Amino acid sequence: MHILPKSGLPRLVEALGEQHELYGPILHEVSGDALFEKLADPAALRLDAPIPYIPPKAAVFPHFEEILHYAYDRDSKKVDIARTDLVRPKALIGVRSCDLTGLACLDRFYLGQEFVDEVYRDHRRRTFIVANTCLGPFPQCFCVCTDSGPYAVEGYDLNLTDLGDHYLVESGSEKGAALAARLGLAPAGADAAGRRDAAVNASIASFDPAARENKAWISRAVNRLTTGFVKNETWEYIGHQCFECGACSYVCPTCSCFNIEDVTPAEGPTGRIRTWDSCSFEGYSRMAGEHNPRRPIEDRRNKRFFCKLSYSQSKKYLRPGCVGCGRCARVCPGDIGLPNVVQYIRRETTGR
Amino acid sequence: MSNHPGVCNYCGTGCGHLLKVEGGAVRGVFPSPEHPVGKGRLCVRGWHIHELLTNGDRIARPLLREAGRTREVGWDEALASVAGRLADYIGDQIGFWASPRASNEDTYALVRLARAVFRCPNIGLLSDAGHQASARVLLDGAGWPAMTGALADIRPADFILVVGTDLSKQNPIIASEIHFAARGGTHVLVLSSRTTQMARLATTHLRPKPGSLATVLKAMARILIDENRQDADFIARYGRGFDAFRMSLAGFDLAAVEAQTGLSLESLRDATRRLAAARRALAFTAAGVAGPDRDTAALLFDLFLAAGKIGREGCGVNPVTGISNMLGASDMGAVPDMLPGARRLPDEGAAAELGAAWKSGLDARPGRRIDDLLRDEGSGLKALVVVDHDDEINLEADAVRNLDYVVYLGAYANPFAGLAHAVLPTTSYGEGDGTYTSAERRIQLNRRKTEPLAEARPAWRVFADLAAKRGQDWGYRAASEVFADIARTVPSYSAVTYDKLDRNFGGLQWPCDAARPQGTPRLLAEDAGRMTFVPFAAESGRPGLSDDFPMALVAGTSTYYWHQNNIMRKTFIPRREYNALLLLYPQGLVEIHPDDAARLGLRDKRPARIVSAKGSMTVAARVTDDVRPGMAYAPYFIGAMIPGFLKPHAVDIERGEDAAIPVRIEKV
Amino acid sequence: MAESPLNAIVTVPAVAEITEIKDEIEEVRTFYFSFDHPELERSFRARSGQFIMCTVFGAGEFAVSLPFSPENDRRHLSVRRVGKVTDGLHALRPGDKIGIRGPFGNGFPFDAIKGRNMVVIAGGIGLIPLRSTLVHALQHRADFGRIILLYGARSSRDLMYLSQIEDWRKTEGFEAFLTIDRAEPGWAGEVGFVHTLIEKAKVPVENTVAFVCGPPIMFNANIKELTGRGLKDEFIFSTLERHMKCGIGKCQHCAIGRTLVCTDGPVYTYKQLKTLGEQI
Repeated sequence: MHILPKSGLPRLVEALGEQHELYGPILHEVSGDALFEKLADPAALRLDAPIPYIPPKAAVFPHFEEILHYAYDRDSKKVDIARTDLVRPKALIGVRSCDLTGLACLDRFYLGQEFVDEVYRDHRRRTFIVANTCLGPFPQCFCVCTDSGPYAVEGYDLNLTDLGDHYLVESGSEKGAALAARLGLAPAGADAAGRRDAAVNASIASFDPAARENKAWISRAVNRLTTGFVKNETWEYIGHQCFECGACSYVCPTCSCFNIEDVTPAEGPTGRIRTWDSCSFEGYSRMAGEHNPRRPIEDRRNKRFFCKLSYSQSKKYLRPGCVGCGRCARVCPGDIGLPNVVQYIRRETTGR
Repeated sequence: MSNHPGVCNYCGTGCGHLLKVEGGAVRGVFPSPEHPVGKGRLCVRGWHIHELLTNGDRIARPLLREAGRTREVGWDEALASVAGRLADYIGDQIGFWASPRASNEDTYALVRLARAVFRCPNIGLLSDAGHQASARVLLDGAGWPAMTGALADIRPADFILVVGTDLSKQNPIIASEIHFAARGGTHVLVLSSRTTQMARLATTHLRPKPGSLATVLKAMARILIDENRQDADFIARYGRGFDAFRMSLAGFDLAAVEAQTGLSLESLRDATRRLAAARRALAFTAAGVAGPDRDTAALLFDLFLAAGKIGREGCGVNPVTGISNMLGASDMGAVPDMLPGARRLPDEGAAAELGAAWKSGLDARPGRRIDDLLRDEGSGLKALVVVDHDDEINLEADAVRNLDYVVYLGAYANPFAGLAHAVLPTTSYGEGDGTYTSAERRIQLNRRKTEPLAEARPAWRVFADLAAKRGQDWGYRAASEVFADIARTVPSYSAVTYDKLDRNFGGLQWPCDAARPQGTPRLLAEDAGRMTFVPFAAESGRPGLSDDFPMALVAGTSTYYWHQNNIMRKTFIPRREYNALLLLYPQGLVEIHPDDAARLGLRDKRPARIVSAKGSMTVAARVTDDVRPGMAYAPYFIGAMIPGFLKPHAVDIERGEDAAIPVRIEKV
Repeated sequence: MAESPLNAIVTVPAVAEITEIKDEIEEVRTFYFSFDHPELERSFRARSGQFIMCTVFGAGEFAVSLPFSPENDRRHLSVRRVGKVTDGLHALRPGDKIGIRGPFGNGFPFDAIKGRNMVVIAGGIGLIPLRSTLVHALQHRADFGRIILLYGARSSRDLMYLSQIEDWRKTEGFEAFLTIDRAEPGWAGEVGFVHTLIEKAKVPVENTVAFVCGPPIMFNANIKELTGRGLKDEFIFSTLERHMKCGIGKCQHCAIGRTLVCTDGPVYTYKQLKTLGEQI
């Protein structure tokens, strides 16, 4: 463990910038929105910014991305086809534990099954991750219920914990340790771990009591979902409130569904575009020339919650698919974010 | 920064978004949590606007069509050709069709081109009939032609009345606010003949027969007065014409209401009492093709005025525009009988003011609506200038085809462009600066985020160049300079500047003038003065059902609000979602109740023939209890349904979703 | 980091040339192709029942089951026009290029069924994804007991691969029964639905595997007939078509319940299909 004085943060960022494109939290100068984006100006980095609306997954799984492009000349029968140029390795700075857990889920899903998703792999190559302990939860947060925060235990290269005038720096990998050594960070004192734990415990204590109380209910919801015990009326009730906007999937750190379209711009070659998609859309599984094989909205909703909370999906991620960031609750026009769904499943059993 | 704030360009809600731009290209969108309207939400359309903005199906260069041949030309040649050809016609022979999606600057310049350069009063706005019905009632009654309340008042409201439309599809984020209000304890009453999602989210859903909304509102007004629940103090201080209003209800027979509307008197009494008892009450209607007709709008206004629920903190009557800048375009004067600023013609004072500001004469006669001119074979219309028109809902393609000369300006390729003799490429939303005015009078500045494609230019600049070709130098070099003229000539915009809009994320709500430099969230009677009860017809129109045509067909959009086809088709996911419905019903559909289906021997997805006095068409039946027995519902946007059947009923359709066409439905 | 199976083209399509186009039935054409890259042309291997993602340049990509046998069979696709991308394919001419990713999916368990009787039951274009297995089995005639094709369509104009079926009949012991829904002048085969052929062909139940593909009504009728005669669910195979975007188990468009058609399928036993829950 090392100490990084707050005044030393720019040096860390600068060192990372030598080999990486830098991503991190900022506050937008006009709207005031917290964003996790590519840092045009490293000085704009704000580790104290609120939880960004769009999770850092967007840096490695973009909303809209050209994965390859081609031009076909029918006269000469010549095809030019190539993978779209890749960017430099990325450094993701200031990743919260919930979002880090989300990246771990995406890694296991995209890289760990029968096939490797080469597009995601290319984004993730040589990524450097600087985690940031979340010392103040937001009203929608419930990472304490999903075993994904507020303090990261794995998956980072460096982990920062704000201890007042300095950060406690923990290395989680060889390259993290190498960077700490290169920067000549001072070793932390013997009391450092104790002070970190006190800060983390204070953070946990400041969660909304409802969020902490939900912990047992999330595992019970997992149980009921997996065994198919959730009543149809509950899904219907949830389904009627769904505006079918797709937002819950888009802001979810672990949602991985995508769509692919070939788009020919007004000028230039055709691009193969990969965009975020959501299983809650009616047309999601439609087939050309065939009837839509899926059923009404309540079933499609059910699908997404199944993906977040069932055992069988958890096997793919080696943990539940929900990381407790609460974004789906903030973004939902129908007020059916995951915590409310857990509430409704709870109400079904307890009647309250 | 790679994320740029702006306002969504689809519906009239005015949600704030952040567009992600990388390498000069739009690469994503997400809602702005800090924005006062969306507060971090967008609907399915808003979440995919980047797909539209990256679409390559654009108009890239000016085109001229001569003797059936189309050729790309430079701007100089195109402008000279258009200015020259239009000069062949006298003012009344030209029509200017503005776009409710274009910026205020673009539409203002178009209006100036029409009135001051070509001296033409025929300026219209695509699909604005519903908007005008509500806007004029509010102009007559309250003095401003737009919603009087504020969206921020939804959650604190005690009572919300939603009339007709399915806001959850048309303006989903407004519906979301209403949904949150209902969950927080607000009594939300939806009056709609169909069971829409909005109706499902309501506290109470009343399902009147199609065509009876005016009767329902009359009954509520009558109950209010009979039970002496009107707000007498408020009326005395701020109302005008209450006695005439009361008199016009005197002959109204409450006893017949149940038979006419299908609703129990008790349910209407309950609704009226809730309205009267509420401290903060709001009404919402659509202000587009799904909106109420003029009488229904007038009755709603009068009911709320009598109950003292307009012109007060937390209260208001709120028509909601379905297209992003419908209100702004009307404010800019894209209305045949008004000058910019909703000044109704004739108005010599306004004409003189505008003439002085424009340093030119202008045609200040009231003109005619473009669709009227197109439908009237003797109108003498010869030429048309069209901005960014949606296809599919254009009922008048044949009439347009018969014109001498058509100019089309737009960003995206569009079948309408195929009818034009000159096609001029304009910037897409995102490629230029511009302001947009949402339903709640919120003026928001959208800054340029990407370079214009190829030869595309802002439409305001094209209009200024055409004016220059006709000898008028407007001196506009930037959108901000057009806006400065808007502020000079539109009183409710007079204290707005680009600088101020840049500093106020989320924009400013008009009226924004010297007295109210930070804008006006809601109409308050103590500032605005007296309001007037708006007269309405004594007899409400009834569908006129008969033995031959016993069913009431409603042609609407509310549940399938995807009719902005030309732009929806240029996205991936919204297009796919639109097609998901058409996959099941590729030939179009008509919704009928299971009881009617059983009686008529119709089955879901099987063909059914709709027959009216004017024609017939065969579509698929969609059997659902979302509609009432005796009623049928056809989404009017499906291409194949328009020329074959709906066109002769265009006038009915314009009266809104409560306008019912008598039909019979037959098994095929 | 992990790598994908070596023999599959995962991300960037390989370019292939359409060498010949044959009209099959209305709206269905067969496109013979060969890869531009000689090494790939030599090494490309696919199991029966696998599918590829085919790019029509400028229009997009679609999933299609491979109809050709893994060995000694010309590479081709048989495709019905159903939308924008397949319209684009049908507009191509010999000499035009297409892109190919794959092969993907599990394929039919060819080795596991050796030594058994094999009955292939198809309706309409349902024969396309079963052709590969049938041809492969005929190429290894000695490894199987009876090999029976039961094939039906609405009319004789809707039957695929008719001349090929005549060629296959030359293989000793191959039995083909063809049927159409309604009698036609000049039609010498059977009349009636396909499942009625099960009785006519005296399809054995013992030591038999069945491959069934066709429209839902046809599929259900045949399943009922086969299981009614005692054929076990796990010896009935079918192949599913789904909306697919990636082919490698990532985009999730083809999810049915807990299974992904692209990687867990597209071949399923009827026993598996019954547990999928959602409508198939």
